[in-house]
Amino acid sequence: MPTYADIQGTRAAGRTADAQPDRVTMRLLIIEDDRDAADYLVKAFREVGHVADAANNGEDGLAIALDGEYDVLIVDRMLPKRDGLSVIGTLREKGIETPALILSALGQVDDRVKGLRAGGDDYLPKPYSFSELLARVEVLSRRRGTRNEETVLRVGNLELDRLSHQVRRGEEEISLQPREFRLLEYLMQHAGQVVTRTMLLENVWDYHFDPQTNVIDVHISRLRSKIDKGFSQPLLHTVRGAGYMIRDGAR
Amino acid sequence: MTALGKLFRTTTFKLTLVYLTVFALFAAFLLGYFALNTRRLITEQITDTVNAEITGLSEQYRLGGIRRLVLVVDARARRPGSSLYLVTTFNGDSLAGNVTALAAGILDSPGWTETVYRRLDEAESANRPEHEALVRVFQLPGGFRLLVGRDLEERERLYHIVLAAGRWSVAIVIVLGLGGGLFVSRRVLRRVDAMTETTKTIMAGDLSERLPVAGTGDEIDRLAQNLNAMLERIEALMQGLKEVSDNIAHDLKTPLTRLRNRAEQALRSAHNDAEYRAALDATIEESDGLIRTFNALLMIARAESGQAREDMSEFDAAEIAHDIGELYEPLAEEKGIALKVEADAPAPVKGNRELVSQALANLVDNAIKYAEPQAGAVNGVAPEIVVRALASGDRIMLTVADTGPGIPEADRAHVVERFVRLESSRSQPGSGLGLSLASAVARLHGGELTLEDNHPGLKSVIALPRGGPLQSAG
Repeated sequence: MPTYADIQGTRAAGRTADAQPDRVTMRLLIIEDDRDAADYLVKAFREVGHVADAANNGEDGLAIALDGEYDVLIVDRMLPKRDGLSVIGTLREKGIETPALILSALGQVDDRVKGLRAGGDDYLPKPYSFSELLARVEVLSRRRGTRNEETVLRVGNLELDRLSHQVRRGEEEISLQPREFRLLEYLMQHAGQVVTRTMLLENVWDYHFDPQTNVIDVHISRLRSKIDKGFSQPLLHTVRGAGYMIRDGAR
Repeated sequence: MTALGKLFRTTTFKLTLVYLTVFALFAAFLLGYFALNTRRLITEQITDTVNAEITGLSEQYRLGGIRRLVLVVDARARRPGSSLYLVTTFNGDSLAGNVTALAAGILDSPGWTETVYRRLDEAESANRPEHEALVRVFQLPGGFRLLVGRDLEERERLYHIVLAAGRWSVAIVIVLGLGGGLFVSRRVLRRVDAMTETTKTIMAGDLSERLPVAGTGDEIDRLAQNLNAMLERIEALMQGLKEVSDNIAHDLKTPLTRLRNRAEQALRSAHNDAEYRAALDATIEESDGLIRTFNALLMIARAESGQAREDMSEFDAAEIAHDIGELYEPLAEEKGIALKVEADAPAPVKGNRELVSQALANLVDNAIKYAEPQAGAVNGVAPEIVVRALASGDRIMLTVADTGPGIPEADRAHVVERFVRLESSRSQPGSGLGLSLASAVARLHGGELTLEDNHPGLKSVIALPRGGPLQSAG
């Protein structure tokens, strides 16, 4: 779990701390029995420009989710009246594919696997930071119809070819290690969105544990030195208190 | 329950009773069968003898008439140990023989009869005729009747001897059986009682007690030994639990206190937004550290309880060594440490990939923390970390070797425990749980974590059985 101090201490953080993600308003449903936590989330999501509703138990949550049009569901694992996994399972049975993020106090590896197997799309153990939750929810909301199928990803004059594994910035060919390539690929798939360190560790390295030290930051700074060095317009930005984002700042 | 009542209720005693009944019935049956057969045999002998005599005597009668018969009978009757004879006329007057006082009407019915009698040469005693005999009455041509018989005393005596023997042997079987049963039951009961007593002490809270072992190696001993082994394990677990709670109390309270102090301090003396912001940032940082410690503790507890055994699959330890090496290489390089991975041959192992990766990551993380070149130190050796994965026999070794200051031998076993950080390293960041977690993960897989001297530096070795925990931990 990254700390604020880690982020502040990151190289080049000051340079890009003002980077703002491309934010599109989302409609969210928060199914959480702890009213304080639910209120806090509703307020926090509204502050960043999203619309959020809350339900306090599984039955209500299921009913509301069936009625309304939501971009992402945030579902607590343990709920009164109906378990969070059962809510998601029922929705999936009825053909409703709204992405769902599971919040759980359990936080163990097999628990995460169970959650994803039950139809959840992402999993976040409690306690979580809001920036982490926000980043994951934004990625989930845009997952449908994303750039997963595109063979060439572009951000500004940076171009990544997923078939030939070639990366160019403008005219210049950039040579990357396999892992650096996957790191950049993941960032570019979510261009304009904040990507947290844990998301990178999960999706690029396939690890779900906390590596104690901020190993990811060092990888990012290496990548940054390869794609941004020597260019006046940086593309890889550090988002204070949250993670990283790749975007064309010139737009 | 009385002591005797308790004795009678033991399984041993009940078993003894069942066996006793079976044996007694069997003995009775055997003796009864023997007695009956003996009796039949003797009866057969008598009838054979009597039949032979009658055949002989009727032959005499045929040859010499009644006179000859009377002479022969008289002669035979006088011989010692003779059979019983009586020859009568048609209306029952005795002509010859050695018996009298026969039961009435015997002579009127030809064939076999049992009857009382008295010999002629015996005095007519006060008591009634005391002998019994088996006799056959034979109708001779001419109206004479011939009676031949044998005394039954012998048969009756034998019969009674066998009966008496039967009664005695059953009685002895019962007495010995009951006595033996009581003796054995009491012995068993005494041992079980001793075990029960000990168990009560243990239940009352004294986990250091052990069940008595008699040393005979019988089933009760084996039971006691197994229960003792179980107690050993429980005691170790309880001890671990106690240490954990002590350590949690200590190591979580420290950052919690800092957290609280900082918030208080900000409330009291912060003057502007920037200062409040800084205080809040620090608070969040501190709580993230707490959460991290807490997660590590939960992970250790989970690994030690064996729950994670469900998620085991086959994976390549060499691949993990490369992955983790690759993950940490930039960090090491940034700190001026060369990180190398030596894992060329595949090292397949069954286990929880995620946990083993995390354990190895912790070791590498530790190595980077401690191998970091300190100003003016490091005996002229370029700081270096080598991560190795190799298969050796039925085990897989994941090794992390650094060239840092190492750990004094006396401290090595100690540092694997939860929260322990050597005094000299208290200033380093980290929860102090890295080695504990690695050790717990190794034990979960039926393996172990050992710390060795790398000359100079520390070499941490996670040894895992290839086939997973069931192969070695049982």
